[in-house]
Amino acid sequence: MSANDVKLRSKSGSIAAYSALVYVVVIFFSILAIIPFWYMFMNATWDTFSIQTGIKLYPNFGNLIGQTKANWDYLANRSTFSFSTGFTNSLIITLSSTALTVYFSALTAYGLSVYDFKGRKTIFTIIVGVMMVPTAVNITGFYRLMNTLGLLGTRWPLILPAIAAPSTVFFIKQYLDTSLSKEIIEAARIDGCGEFRTFNSICLPIMIPALATQGIFSFLGSWNNFFAPSILLTKQELKTLPLMVGMLYGDRYTDYGAINIGLSASVLPIMIAYAFLQRYIIQGVAAGGVKE
Amino acid sequence: MARGTNNSARHNGMSYTKFGYLFIAPFVVVYALFSLYPLLTTFWYSGANLSNANSAFWGFGNKEAYYDRYLDLTALFSDDELAAHGIDAHAYNDLRNYFACQTRADQFKPTDVDGLTAIANNPDISEATRAKINQVIETGDISYISTDAAAWEELTTWSANYYDLSVDIIGKLTSINSTGVTLTTVEASDDESSEDAITTADIIAGDSYAGFLDTLQTGEFTEGQQVLMSYLATYAGADSLYDYFANMQDTDVATDTFYYVCSNLDAPNAIYDGEKIDAIAVPFIGDLNAYMTANVWNTSIPPYLTFDGYIDGSRNLHDGEEQVYSNLEKLYSMGIINSQVQLVEENGTLVPSSDGKVNVLANMRQFIDSQYQSDAVKAASKMQIAAMNNYLNDSANSARKSLISAGYTDIDSYISFNGEMDFDKYASFKSRIGLAGVLTMDKYNELDAAKKAKNAEKAQAKLDEKVSKYNDYLEQYNNEIARINGMTDDDIAVRYSGKFTRADLIRMAEESFSYNTVTAVDNLRNQVNHPSGIFGSVDASSKYILVGFTNFSSIFTDNHRFAVVAGAFVTTFVMWIIGFAPQIGLALLLSAWFTDTKLKLKGLSAMKALMYLPNVITAATIAIFFRRLFQYSTGSAASAAQLFLDAIGAPRYNFFDSAWATRLIVCFINFWMWYGNTMIVLIAGITSISESLYESAQLDGANSFQTYTKITMPLLRPILLYSFVTSMIGGLQMYDIPYNLNMNPALIKFNGQRIRSIQTVLMYINELAFGRAVVKQIGTASAVSVVLFIVTTALSIIIFYLMRDKDAAAAAKAKKLARKAGV
Repeated sequence: MSANDVKLRSKSGSIAAYSALVYVVVIFFSILAIIPFWYMFMNATWDTFSIQTGIKLYPNFGNLIGQTKANWDYLANRSTFSFSTGFTNSLIITLSSTALTVYFSALTAYGLSVYDFKGRKTIFTIIVGVMMVPTAVNITGFYRLMNTLGLLGTRWPLILPAIAAPSTVFFIKQYLDTSLSKEIIEAARIDGCGEFRTFNSICLPIMIPALATQGIFSFLGSWNNFFAPSILLTKQELKTLPLMVGMLYGDRYTDYGAINIGLSASVLPIMIAYAFLQRYIIQGVAAGGVKE
Repeated sequence: MARGTNNSARHNGMSYTKFGYLFIAPFVVVYALFSLYPLLTTFWYSGANLSNANSAFWGFGNKEAYYDRYLDLTALFSDDELAAHGIDAHAYNDLRNYFACQTRADQFKPTDVDGLTAIANNPDISEATRAKINQVIETGDISYISTDAAAWEELTTWSANYYDLSVDIIGKLTSINSTGVTLTTVEASDDESSEDAITTADIIAGDSYAGFLDTLQTGEFTEGQQVLMSYLATYAGADSLYDYFANMQDTDVATDTFYYVCSNLDAPNAIYDGEKIDAIAVPFIGDLNAYMTANVWNTSIPPYLTFDGYIDGSRNLHDGEEQVYSNLEKLYSMGIINSQVQLVEENGTLVPSSDGKVNVLANMRQFIDSQYQSDAVKAASKMQIAAMNNYLNDSANSARKSLISAGYTDIDSYISFNGEMDFDKYASFKSRIGLAGVLTMDKYNELDAAKKAKNAEKAQAKLDEKVSKYNDYLEQYNNEIARINGMTDDDIAVRYSGKFTRADLIRMAEESFSYNTVTAVDNLRNQVNHPSGIFGSVDASSKYILVGFTNFSSIFTDNHRFAVVAGAFVTTFVMWIIGFAPQIGLALLLSAWFTDTKLKLKGLSAMKALMYLPNVITAATIAIFFRRLFQYSTGSAASAAQLFLDAIGAPRYNFFDSAWATRLIVCFINFWMWYGNTMIVLIAGITSISESLYESAQLDGANSFQTYTKITMPLLRPILLYSFVTSMIGGLQMYDIPYNLNMNPALIKFNGQRIRSIQTVLMYINELAFGRAVVKQIGTASAVSVVLFIVTTALSIIIFYLMRDKDAAAAAKAKKLARKAGV
């Protein structure tokens, strides 16, 4: 009896020790995930000299607002870095491309899911096939096409192709196959509702959960995109935020406070959005990995 | 039930199916236009000769402006010829000067804001001048300074009196770099030289080599020349120069020593007895230069790889300083910066002078050893004043001087200083000099046609001559064969030092004959039929011809290119796998813990969210931040990583000077950004495994480890494979992080060549097709893209088969079998 008791106690004791170990490791990695950003934000409030002579993991309490503003002003006076221009461009490109991706992917997925037309299976197979093909490999051809169409030097090359997003189509179709009931469409038809109206006013609202998830990922992908914009957007007034941040590269003329505030400014909007949407994002990542 | 619904839908919806096409139409059209078509054209470019494609190809949309800028008609036509076509030679000369000015402005950026800001913050400069500088910053108009003699005088005087070692070194690197770029550009744009590339054997086998040997043996030399020759013989480790050259194997030609000896004989910078030594003409120096340019120079240290970052200020001179030193040393020993080597007499022998521009080496050593620190503001001021001087100063910018003396005193207002040509300013200048409407695209076409007619005529004349001389060539050939047959094998061995056999000599005579009577004739006939016009050297479209797999084979046949391409793939793969191994390991561990119900962990979702956070942040931002984190410096001001090393008492370490340290930083960033993602995917996989499996395992007395290895792992396998393959495809397209971490990283040896340690495939494609070089190598860039496409497609096919619904596949197979059986 007592021997059993000891065994139980020691078992629960070892579980507690094990849990403690797990906590230490998990907390370590949680801190590792945010410490660079924390350091970046803190540096944004210090002057170059302080940053370069000590690791500042706390804000500049002495002159928090004054120094932060000085850093910001220094950065704003550089001709090459303009936060507002970058932010506006990023927002325009990202919002329009996300809207196009979500709407047209839903349309395509709906077409593939609801209508049993000839060649449907083949087209879907092709979409699944090209899902993994990276967009970057056709960059020389794409650039040349944009040149021919006269779209270079505009934002269109980064917006228009968003209409065709194979992986978004794939995921929305998977969702539709399991959650869209064909009776609703039948009922709408009997009531004399046109096909496009059925899609727009009846089925689109049903798809919202899937669209929201795909929208978030499309938004993040477009917002963080660097390769294509770095090649297609050469004009200063069209550059997106990641490209603006890219200009903080370089060693010679250094104001560390200003650089850090520039980096922080590019990180902060995403972090805020992430704080609100992290649950959906993580669910989306989980759903993407597990085959339905 | 579900099946019933489907059937009824199909039955009732017959008339609706056509809507399916309408719904998917936008997707199909856009995909075909923006993804498929570019992909196919990329395939097409990969088989086309586009090695010379430039801005014309890339959308210098205004062709007329493009030719105005890049096509120099004075090199093609005399003034009279131009006048005959209605173009005033003086006005055209002004146009050339205008673009020379613009190019200079683009090159030196005289109104660069960072540099000007440094001057404005420079305490040595007077308030008044600094105010002027501020006006230049605000307006972007350089004339605030150029018209104010006193201010300009103050700046140049200050600059001349202020010495900064690092600025001095960077200045020299700039001049060396521009030499290198000229050399390589000449090689790249010269089609004929690449057609019959010179080999080392050619140089030794050539007649000029034999003649040169005779000269060395029998020639008469001045005392100075003899001293130089003995210095060079000692340098080469031979008793005499004749010995050195006569015992040369063809592989020795490719050495730095050989180049150094030859170029010093050909164009010595040596002083003996107070007199400059005369050259001993090395007749094959042209071949040698071509060979060195095509091979050694290009492959061993392309200067733009190593010096660029220092020149444009994106890299600190202390970052990779030893690499710079060894590269300079190599250039010096190759004689590439030979013009900067002075040989002086000391006790009757010549020794390399410790004076003069050779000091770039000594300076660099001093800079490294003394851990020299510049005053950043003053150094930047000095460099900016030099940049302004390079644009403003008459002797440095003769084009500007000519324009001003021609009456265009306000020329600066027509120049754009932001690095891009301003079409409005250009147009107004063109109309001011009276060429607007004269020098049009039609005019260029007219000139092209005239040139073509002339070239065809010339080629025809040459062709007629070649054809008429057929009998002469035949006679020459017969004589040569007779001469060879007249010699015994021993004669041949003595005469040609055992290098050539009788068969070799006969083959050479035959080749020479067939060149003169067949190859040369064909070439000329081709020139008659397709004469070159005026666009050839600048226009890509004129060379837009299919060359089959040449671009691909060039990847494999060109030693250097192979190393760079294969190296980029290997680098990308290595950086991916080193980041991926800990990523999947940690993700497995964390996912096991997070799903272990016995642990009853609290606050899991918050921790998951934190660990996933780096994945949503812009990779470019993270890379730039990490660059700052690890940056190297020797002084008290230092980056976090260096301060950390100080704190633990370790010596400072230059992470970006080491190829592997740089790579590991990239790997760490990848790992850090992605393990959260993998973890979440794996957690989802584990939670989707049926609970009952675990329960029955527990009943059977299995412990945590056993359930994990016997149940979780096998069932997780497809998801692990999915993570693996998607991560590999993503990893192959690595770009943002290495690109923003270090554009000019430390070099690393790969297959005998030096390549950039963190250059990925996409970075290489970008550099070839959209890089800073004037000559864009679209064909090769496309070929590399196609290789990347094939690799990723192969991986996609693998994942497609892995992810395929096994049941559905089995059902389809059964159905097929049934159909075959005739059921």
